[in-house]
Amino acid sequence: MNFSLVWEARWLILDSFVVTLYLSASAVVGGTVVGMIVALLRQFGLRPLNLLLRAYVELFRGTPLLMQLFFIYFGLPLVNVSVDRFWAAFIALTCFTSAYVAEVFRSGIEAIPRGQSEAATALGMGFFHRFFWIIAPQALRVSLPPLIGVYVSVIKDTSLATVVGYNELTRRAMELMLRFGHPLEFFITVALLYFAICYPISKLSERLERKLTPSAR
Amino acid sequence: MAFHWAAIPRFIPQLLAGAQLTLLITLVAMLIGIVIGVAMAAGRVSRFRLLRMLAGLYVEFVRNTPALLQIFILFFGMPSLGLRMSATTAGSIALGLNAGAYLAEIFRAGLAGVPPGSREAAVALAFNRLQTLVYITAPLAMRAAWPAFCNLFISILLASSLLSAISVYELTGITNDISTKTFLTFEVYSVAALFYVVLNVGVSLLLALAGRLLFPPQSR
Repeated sequence: MNFSLVWEARWLILDSFVVTLYLSASAVVGGTVVGMIVALLRQFGLRPLNLLLRAYVELFRGTPLLMQLFFIYFGLPLVNVSVDRFWAAFIALTCFTSAYVAEVFRSGIEAIPRGQSEAATALGMGFFHRFFWIIAPQALRVSLPPLIGVYVSVIKDTSLATVVGYNELTRRAMELMLRFGHPLEFFITVALLYFAICYPISKLSERLERKLTPSAR
Repeated sequence: MAFHWAAIPRFIPQLLAGAQLTLLITLVAMLIGIVIGVAMAAGRVSRFRLLRMLAGLYVEFVRNTPALLQIFILFFGMPSLGLRMSATTAGSIALGLNAGAYLAEIFRAGLAGVPPGSREAAVALAFNRLQTLVYITAPLAMRAAWPAFCNLFISILLASSLLSAISVYELTGITNDISTKTFLTFEVYSVAALFYVVLNVGVSLLLALAGRLLFPPQSR
């Protein structure tokens, strides 16, 4: 083991660490927004719309993210939409994440007792009032721990952008390895960097879960 | 642009071979994962602090780093320690190690969910520790862990696509290969996605069936 090369390459590694954080943050925001919209649209209870949204969720949850990434990176240019590496990774991660986020919200919404919705109706509230003031805030609270769990997956999944050549952390480790050798040193260093962000967030999710469901303990 | 769907049937045998390898890798990874998962779950509830710590370290490290990186560590990193493996072997072991960490948590949660009353009943019936584990605790824990186990199975099936990054010709690897050779990108990826959906649904159904046979619904 010889970590002196890793130390010499520290700025290169830190630089792509920032790139990974940037891609993660973008995908988290994108995935949450799209996932929320999908979950909201499912609340209208229109049958054809629900079928379409379910197909969307099942498609993105049922196929590997890697394949979605290839499909978007190599496929979109064929229909004259040019995507660079960041956008390909961003779009793929957003779609993939949104499917999971939509499911988290849906189960969160389903966890709210029907009486809440019925009481709101009895008070003369319309759909939007009922959803945004009664259901959504409670569902959000229940959904928070699993949602944060999804975000940890997103951070880890940004590593897949390597395969389309986007220069994030895993890619950088690969390039350094190809140039200088010492694969274990570079990969372990990078793994520790991922761990440094993912571990605290995982712990936060666990703690919130315990706090929100006191009965589980 | 024009699609050339007529050119696709020619590649179906290759895609089927890829799907077969995907299934094989998934099965091997899950078998390795079960062994490691049981060991790590046992470690995490052990009486010895050192074992608890080591198992905890393993589980947390694997769960909080990307699977792709774990595959790279095994495939590119192990040869420098004198351990050389083929891409398929290294990849399957890496996936197995990954599955093991998640399974450890699943088994542990299953064990934690066994009501203390059933253990006390076993003690009252003069079961020893091993008998209690084999006849009472383990079956109840397995039943509780089954849905999460099925979900993980599917996750590993999808994650096996990562092996294409170390040039294993499983379903995704084959698809990339055909796509770069023929430029039938859209067609071939669509068909491969369909393959994945079919694999997914098939495996889910089989697991559901196995669940019904292994853990018949209890009458109360």
